[in-house]
Amino acid sequence: MRDAFSKALVDLAKADPNVLLLTGDHGYALFDEFRRVCPKQYINAGIAEQNMVGMAAGLARTGFRPIVYGLSAFIPIRVLEQIKLDVAHDNLPVIFIGDGAGFVYSHLGTSHQSTEDIACSRAIADLQVYSPADEFEMTFCMHAAYRVRAPVYLRVGKSDRAPVHAQALNCSLGQLLSLKLGERGGVTFIATGSLVRCALDIAGTTFPGASVWSAPFIKPIDEAQISAICRDSQTVVTLEEHSIYGGLGSLVAEVTSATAPVRLLRIGVKDRFSMHCGSYDYLLKEHGLDRMSIEKKLTSFLSPNSSALCE
Amino acid sequence: MSVQQPTFNPRRLRKTVLDMAYAGSTVHIGCAFSIIDLLAVLYRDHLRYPGNNPIAVDRDYFVLSKGHGVMAQYACMRELGWLPEEAFSGYFADGSELKGLSDSRVRGLEVTSGSLGHGFSVGVGMAFGAQLRGTNQKTYVLVGDGEINEGPIWEGALCAAHHRMKNLMLIVDENGLQAMGETKDVLELGSIQAKFESFGFVGASVDGHNEHDIDLAIRKLWATPSDRPKVLIARTIKGKGVPFMENNNIWHYTRLNAETYAKAVAAVTRGTDL
Repeated sequence: MRDAFSKALVDLAKADPNVLLLTGDHGYALFDEFRRVCPKQYINAGIAEQNMVGMAAGLARTGFRPIVYGLSAFIPIRVLEQIKLDVAHDNLPVIFIGDGAGFVYSHLGTSHQSTEDIACSRAIADLQVYSPADEFEMTFCMHAAYRVRAPVYLRVGKSDRAPVHAQALNCSLGQLLSLKLGERGGVTFIATGSLVRCALDIAGTTFPGASVWSAPFIKPIDEAQISAICRDSQTVVTLEEHSIYGGLGSLVAEVTSATAPVRLLRIGVKDRFSMHCGSYDYLLKEHGLDRMSIEKKLTSFLSPNSSALCE
Repeated sequence: MSVQQPTFNPRRLRKTVLDMAYAGSTVHIGCAFSIIDLLAVLYRDHLRYPGNNPIAVDRDYFVLSKGHGVMAQYACMRELGWLPEEAFSGYFADGSELKGLSDSRVRGLEVTSGSLGHGFSVGVGMAFGAQLRGTNQKTYVLVGDGEINEGPIWEGALCAAHHRMKNLMLIVDENGLQAMGETKDVLELGSIQAKFESFGFVGASVDGHNEHDIDLAIRKLWATPSDRPKVLIARTIKGKGVPFMENNNIWHYTRLNAETYAKAVAAVTRGTDL
């Protein structure tokens, strides 16, 4: 997925000299190719994220197409007000890349982990939010973000999972993508980012009748499609490496409660920070987001005497 | 009001501010009065708006980072005929366009400010954009001395100096007061000019109410044979022009009543018809 990101970045910059990459002193090695091919379009803004975002707004006002890169713990979280006031308020075409979302930096602790970025960013008016799951979604999201000429936050989570699509996407902005059609009226997974692969794995084995949808777009999102999916399901499970507050699960709940009420299990990070340090897989386990924990929660949710609404 | 050759008479600009502040029962009068002479000189003698078009692509950029001084800018925009008279007489009326802080959706205002420490970085980006394109546009950013408590100001200063943004001029409105008291009592700033010079700016200071000196100082800074960004420290008086408002911080917050309005108008017009 990182290769797809790097390639899309280089392709966009080669095609349009107005594309500028701004980084807050992050992305070592990731930008080698970019710097080789488009050295004049590369700006290391230093460890000064607030100024970097304000500057990106100024550059956008003079006709440039800034792509601002940082870790998602900083872009968008540290600079939320700059994104809101300097960029989103005036609908400036700035793309924000928040890398390492979720628990990618599993050994580094809370400062580098990011499980509130979707909630914060989707509440900002006129800011679009994308969350690709694999290289194909990444390529599509990057080009869509460029074409849409609006402020976009693109969330990049764990990037080395096996792809969930087999080929380049042919879809439209806001669309949920069907990865597996299961039994009508059964269990449906709607997942985003790193956990889409996990949903597919579960639906391929333990819950073979389940359907799986990927949500690479958080905002805009096709609400009618969410309603239709929920109408066709007995139980919907949302999966995200993000807080259960304000992310994909909340979004699906907001839509279904108004249009197509359905039993909904929101799986994500409970209202807590990581306690310990360890591998990425360890940390998923600590937060109950590993495959086994998810299967257990779902089984329990489906049992007749379950009353849990989220886990 | 639109005149053929706007003169930006500071007394008329102050009268405009008083009229709109009274009409809208608004605050921040002292904050507008400390920068109004600076704005008069900038709009009259320096800012280039080809075709009198506030959004001409090759215009100079003026960024009011201390967005709470925006009434001074509205008054200048009135001279240029960019705003309808109703915008002034109906200031703060329900559904009206002009807000109490700078909002870039208003043609002629470059940034949305009011939350302090934002406009400077956006201005740095605009100056950078002009530099990358090789245009001769100039960017002026006006910040308050209280505002430079904000961290991004210093991030932006590093950035502007590092990239040798010689087309950027930062103007600091040094009136010595911020919302809750004197700047020296809140967070001691020391020499603002020396601070920016140590970051790599070319600096100068001036009486921020002497139009001739302001004009000269700006010309001299631009004429400096240096690839560095410029900083002009303008020593100002909050509330300047109305004796009972001068250096009196309550005019950061206080609204005019019929009596104070009449007294203030008399002070700025001195009985003349502006």
